[in-house]
Amino acid sequence: MRTPDAIAVAPARAASRLPWIVLIIAVGILLPLLPYMFKTSDYVLNIFMNSVTYAMAVLGMVVVLGYTGQINLAQAAFFGFGAYSVALGTVSYGLPFWVALALGVGISGIAGVVLGLTTLRLGGHYLAMITISFQQIFDLVAVNWIELTHGPDGIAGIPRPSLFGHELSDQRAFLLFSTLVLYALIWFAWWLPGTRLGRAMRSVRDNELAAGTVGVHTLRVKVTAFTMSAVLGGIGGGLYASGFSYISPDNFNFARSIEFLTATLLGGAQSAFGGTLGTVLIVLLPEWFKDLPESLRFLTKVYLAIYGLAVILIMVFMPEGLWGLLRNAWGRVRKTAPQAVGKIVPLNFDIKVAHRTALLKLENLQKHFGGLKAVDGVDLEVMPGTVHALIGPNGSGKTTTLNVVSGIYRPTAGKVLFDGKDISLMAPHDRAGQGMGRTFQNIRLFSTMTALENVMVGGQRDNNPLQEGHDNLRHRALSALEFVGIAHRANEVVRNLPYGHQRYVEIARALAGHPTLLLLDEPGAGLNQTEKQELVGLLKRLRGHGLTIFLIDHDMGLVEKVSDKITVLNFGKKIAEGSPQDVLRHPDVIAAYLGEGPSGAAARA
Amino acid sequence: MHTTSRASLALSISVLVISGWAYAADPIKIGLVNETTGPNAEAGAYTVNGVKLAVDEINAKGGIMGRPIELRIEDNQSTNPGTVLAYSKLTGEGGITAIVGPIRSTQIQAASPTIQKGGLPAMVGGTDPSLTKVNNPWIFRLRPNDSYSSRVIADFGLNSLKLKKWAIVHSTDAFGTGGMKALSAALQGQGITPVLTQGYTNNSQDFTPIVLAIKKSGADILATYMTNSQDVGIFAKQLRQLGVGVPWVGSPSIVTDTAMKLAGPALHGTYAVADYTPGSSPEARSFADKYKARYKLDSDVYSSWAYDAMHLLKFAIESGKATEPDKLRAALLGVCGWKGVEGTYCFDKNGDGLKGYNVVRNENGKITYLKHIDFKD
Amino acid sequence: MEALANNFQVLFQGLALGSIYALVALGFVLIIRTTNVVNFAQGDFAMLGGYLMVLFLVGMPGNPDLGLPALGLALPYWLAIVLTVVAMGVIGIAFNYGVYYPLRNRPFLPVLISTLGASIFLQNTVLAVFNPQPRPLDKLVGVDGITVGGVFLDSQYLVILAFTILAVAFQYFLFEHTLLGKKLQAVSQDKDMARLLGIPVSLMIIITFVYSAVLGGLAGVLVSPILFVSIGLGSAIALKAFAATIIGGFGDIAGAIVGGLIIGVVESFAAYYISVPYKDAYAFVFLFLVLLFRPQGIFGEKVSEKA
Repeated sequence: MRTPDAIAVAPARAASRLPWIVLIIAVGILLPLLPYMFKTSDYVLNIFMNSVTYAMAVLGMVVVLGYTGQINLAQAAFFGFGAYSVALGTVSYGLPFWVALALGVGISGIAGVVLGLTTLRLGGHYLAMITISFQQIFDLVAVNWIELTHGPDGIAGIPRPSLFGHELSDQRAFLLFSTLVLYALIWFAWWLPGTRLGRAMRSVRDNELAAGTVGVHTLRVKVTAFTMSAVLGGIGGGLYASGFSYISPDNFNFARSIEFLTATLLGGAQSAFGGTLGTVLIVLLPEWFKDLPESLRFLTKVYLAIYGLAVILIMVFMPEGLWGLLRNAWGRVRKTAPQAVGKIVPLNFDIKVAHRTALLKLENLQKHFGGLKAVDGVDLEVMPGTVHALIGPNGSGKTTTLNVVSGIYRPTAGKVLFDGKDISLMAPHDRAGQGMGRTFQNIRLFSTMTALENVMVGGQRDNNPLQEGHDNLRHRALSALEFVGIAHRANEVVRNLPYGHQRYVEIARALAGHPTLLLLDEPGAGLNQTEKQELVGLLKRLRGHGLTIFLIDHDMGLVEKVSDKITVLNFGKKIAEGSPQDVLRHPDVIAAYLGEGPSGAAARA
Repeated sequence: MHTTSRASLALSISVLVISGWAYAADPIKIGLVNETTGPNAEAGAYTVNGVKLAVDEINAKGGIMGRPIELRIEDNQSTNPGTVLAYSKLTGEGGITAIVGPIRSTQIQAASPTIQKGGLPAMVGGTDPSLTKVNNPWIFRLRPNDSYSSRVIADFGLNSLKLKKWAIVHSTDAFGTGGMKALSAALQGQGITPVLTQGYTNNSQDFTPIVLAIKKSGADILATYMTNSQDVGIFAKQLRQLGVGVPWVGSPSIVTDTAMKLAGPALHGTYAVADYTPGSSPEARSFADKYKARYKLDSDVYSSWAYDAMHLLKFAIESGKATEPDKLRAALLGVCGWKGVEGTYCFDKNGDGLKGYNVVRNENGKITYLKHIDFKD
Repeated sequence: MEALANNFQVLFQGLALGSIYALVALGFVLIIRTTNVVNFAQGDFAMLGGYLMVLFLVGMPGNPDLGLPALGLALPYWLAIVLTVVAMGVIGIAFNYGVYYPLRNRPFLPVLISTLGASIFLQNTVLAVFNPQPRPLDKLVGVDGITVGGVFLDSQYLVILAFTILAVAFQYFLFEHTLLGKKLQAVSQDKDMARLLGIPVSLMIIITFVYSAVLGGLAGVLVSPILFVSIGLGSAIALKAFAATIIGGFGDIAGAIVGGLIIGVVESFAAYYISVPYKDAYAFVFLFLVLLFRPQGIFGEKVSEKA
């Protein structure tokens, strides 16, 4: 799953930000009150009304695209659901404004759920097409189903609501109200990424496969994101309808969706403030262009062409949007504070295993890709509290086996039993919920998140025997990081960590979930000899705590040192199994590795 | 300094002084909400042509009450929100006497509350009948609305061509749907039910299903309310290719310069109702000639109504001897019998100034004026 | 008998329009295969093709605001086509360097947006040079069309169908039977590996963009006599062409053609039998269903993500 670029800034001390927060709040309070203090033209009020309501829709884009990484080109349709509900509800059906708005938000939300569910099968370009199709169908229905929507005539005379007895018919009053709603939504969007759901969303954005494996219900998260986006759009649309008192289908078409998208990207998709900033610019820019001095007036004829060019330039030079630009400039001034490690509680392992028999059992496991039999009838047992290695030449089916065990592939035939339970068809996040943890050959961390946040996501798996609460989760994560020895770098963004440390973060992420079984796919890959020694030590400590480890690796020296039992695969079949001494000198095994002796195999690693 | 330079300096100064003195009177600002950019920029360009022609003519003769007209053009980007913004900007600016534009009914509808609040006369060109039925005292319509176009089409088809099996083809936008409804009502009023009513979305690329439906319905007369020239072009061609030759009476869009260029021979022999026809009156003829001379283009309805709007404003301001909104409004309402390019204006209390249409025919690519049909109500 | 003729008429129109979608989709697919870029400006290549023809056959009106002089030209039709092809090739190169190259290592979203920006830019630049008036373009053949058994076959549509077949055959031949085609395929499957094998990847990509631009331009040249030369021509076709590539199987050439034809025919019949105004919706509803039940399209293969 590819993601938009971003550089996340680690959470900074609140104290150093205080004066800025006060300033922003002061400006925020002052702005909507300005029209009461100074005579403001209708023109300016209209511009602000536009900006405020569009900004709500753009916040929806920030949630679904910026935070969760899902492309949504139907935001104008959601905006339209809210607008039409308010318009039709109040004008045609005589409902009170608040009821109509609630209805609009509800309908929009349901549409969001539907669209979110389509992500079960699709992502990327396909999702873009599905959302475009949805948008186009909405547009056509709005224009052609005249009995319901009044068609292209639109709906006029949409009333203003009254709040606590005050009629909001004054443009300024309604604008003030809408601005306050916007502030509330901005606060929500700002608060969201740091929550449990927010972390889950960002993990889906950064690496959906890994997110599922560590226990995130990826479909649920994506549906939630779409629903939130739809709800935000619906609120904006409802207020827009009342604000301008006339709506027609051409306000809610594909071009408008593109406008929302552009505003999001221009301002900065990953930030509530960025989205708001982008919206203001998109609304104001065409107007500014009209006010250019005479010599530059010709630009108004070509400003749309410049706009198009600007979009390209933004994508090339400013992928995090303006807000990202500002934040990076700001971030250079501050360094990430290291994490104090003194008070971290040692990691507890809580290992409860039901049977003294095999923790992991593969029965006649088959995985075929068309005609290719990657795994061809493998029987295997991993006993609790042991380190069990799976080795074999390239293409022998090791990683495929591991992927079937962790749920990324469905077996063609055969069974996977975990602690006595048949989990052959269980989704990856549910397996994590059973106590299975895993790392990947090519490290799959959530690149824009800090080490701490990465590990916290690991701790968010279902059934994690952990006390409720953010602090408990955080402490668990710190304990896991301390166990692997890098807790002092907890607040750094993982993309900036050296390779070896990233490996450890991945392991810590798995550990945060109290796993009983740990699946490691080439944990030694990319490590130098010293780092491998440390890794061996780590694995032995893990085993000492009662963890069961099932690993793949090519370094025979490492495998020999750390394993209790080795299974060897070749061409998808088991060709040998036993203690390291037996297996690594077995003639079939040596032959499988193309006739090289164990020393040759070790030298290759 | 050289003698020649001194002379030219003196000359320039005197020219400046004289021209400055000639226009010492401060200008009358008139706003124009125009589709300068966006999907309808084509029409917007023609509107500006018509407006500028009028403004230059008026200013050359000394302006209005001795004051030159200053044009303030606002681009509405061909969108509804853009029209609202353009109107609010112009009305909020202060110093503007009246505003002209736009021609699209849905844009005017969107801006109606803003126009009402703005308290300045708005001279619009949209033909949706409901525009003047919303009790907005500031809207003045410079073209006959679609309730009249449809009655004229019905009248012409039933009484002049004497045909009774009607097929109505219309675009599903506000213009097309409104026109279709009005025409159906006009026909029903004469006891006729159309044998086919078929809508299509603008920018359809293929009209075969509609043409086949027309054939199947056995219609002997075709009436259309189509918006885009491209649709007219494709439809007309496919109509002829599939062998449909029934008389066709269309809304003004089938006699625009562009539509005729695109459709070519496929539109020969068709009838249309048009509010602007060069051959319909001396005023129209004169405008057509002046427009052609200046722009090397044929004039059309996009430019004619705006041209009228400017000249009408001059007439109303001068007859009321005032630019204040209320007085100007009263003067406009009092206009009756003023001959514009679009016809003879007589404003009713709703702001409708024209109540009839020309019937024209496309004879081998040239538009000939047949007759004018007027209504009193 | 008339009903049968009518159905054939509807079928022919559907195939004809479908070929237009297919032609644009062909260029689309090629870019997707080699660069993984979804080019939202593909339809605008068709638009440009039409306008270039107008330029060479008639001239340009000039734009005083921008200091562009009016220009009158009247080149022979065949020469206009040749020059259009050359110009489109140049545009393809410019597109490669301006839009693709700076973003070649980025994820798909910035690139998608960038092509959207390119589309807006192209449309409005043409708008500035020419005015917004749509224009006619002469057909390739003098005859309007032939009537066979009560079915009118527009000559330009026949030309389009013929050209589409040729284009498909040519593209198939290119990809499957020439070394250049193999190199292009290699680049599309694994750029780094191709580079390591000594394939000049950048050149391959430039060739891809040039080919797609020329193909798109020719599609425009062929379709403009029917749909007329206008700024919005590209946008109308592009979305449907994109849908065609998905229905056919993302990245599959045969699929793009079949997908385009299917969309054209579905649209045509649905408009005839169900409802005309919702014509555009049918294509999208169909797409929706395909994506829901067979997301890999007709010819596509399920690709599992490697862990």
